[in-house]
Amino acid sequence: MGKIQDLKNAMLVQLFKHLPWLAERWAKGHRFVEGQGIPWTPLGKPLRESCIAMVTTAGVHLKSQPPFNMEDPDGDATFRAFPADADKSDLTITHKYYDHSAADRDINVVLPIDRLRELQKEGFIGRIAPTLYSFMGHIDGPHLKTLMEETAPEVAERLLREGAEAVVLTPA
Amino acid sequence: MGLIQRVIELRRIPTIGITLQQEITMKVKPPRALFLRYPFGHPLGEAFHVRQQRTILIDTLRGLETIQEPGTILTPGYVWRRHAFD
Repeated sequence: MGKIQDLKNAMLVQLFKHLPWLAERWAKGHRFVEGQGIPWTPLGKPLRESCIAMVTTAGVHLKSQPPFNMEDPDGDATFRAFPADADKSDLTITHKYYDHSAADRDINVVLPIDRLRELQKEGFIGRIAPTLYSFMGHIDGPHLKTLMEETAPEVAERLLREGAEAVVLTPA
Repeated sequence: MGLIQRVIELRRIPTIGITLQQEITMKVKPPRALFLRYPFGHPLGEAFHVRQQRTILIDTLRGLETIQEPGTILTPGYVWRRHAFD
């Protein structure tokens, strides 16, 4: 992506951060994939007995993992998986479509791993699923098909295999 | 994000997502959501604001138990930087 495009993007990120109504107006004018029907799976048992997983679209990953592709204007439909007990200092964020300065200081702003661990210790939830999954939320064009038909189903399959009984998703 | 959520729910795992964009969520139609009028990059609120993050996460988790109607969007209405989380 060119420098002018990068500059325009950085400006929009700051505008949307400080003027949320502008982001709402942008959303109204933007075309999104509209859902047909609403999928529904009831919670099988109380939270205090359930294994909870988290999935974020905030572009979080281990520093040792390859970053998300920021050069493609349609985004990156791949995901990163890392252990739920990963050290926070090993995590980083690759995402230029939102201001992650707060999340860089405290990852809990986008991925509340400390809060979830506390709730597990207190018995509010049963267990934490072993793996956290992370996407980069800015996905458009041909990558939407990849997301819907390949990467998102793969994450769903892995979550099921790992025993996740409910999932909390956090955006950027 | 709602699209990924729908895929996971279809795989028979109940889901709930935090959203900062109610308009988009109403179009994408995930099964359960919690909406906050917070800036992008702050779904759990502010850095190191433990009570705020905790409250939002608890509200979100509880939605898994309390929401009975598919497509429900919870709106706790915590005003950005004004709500006192005690």
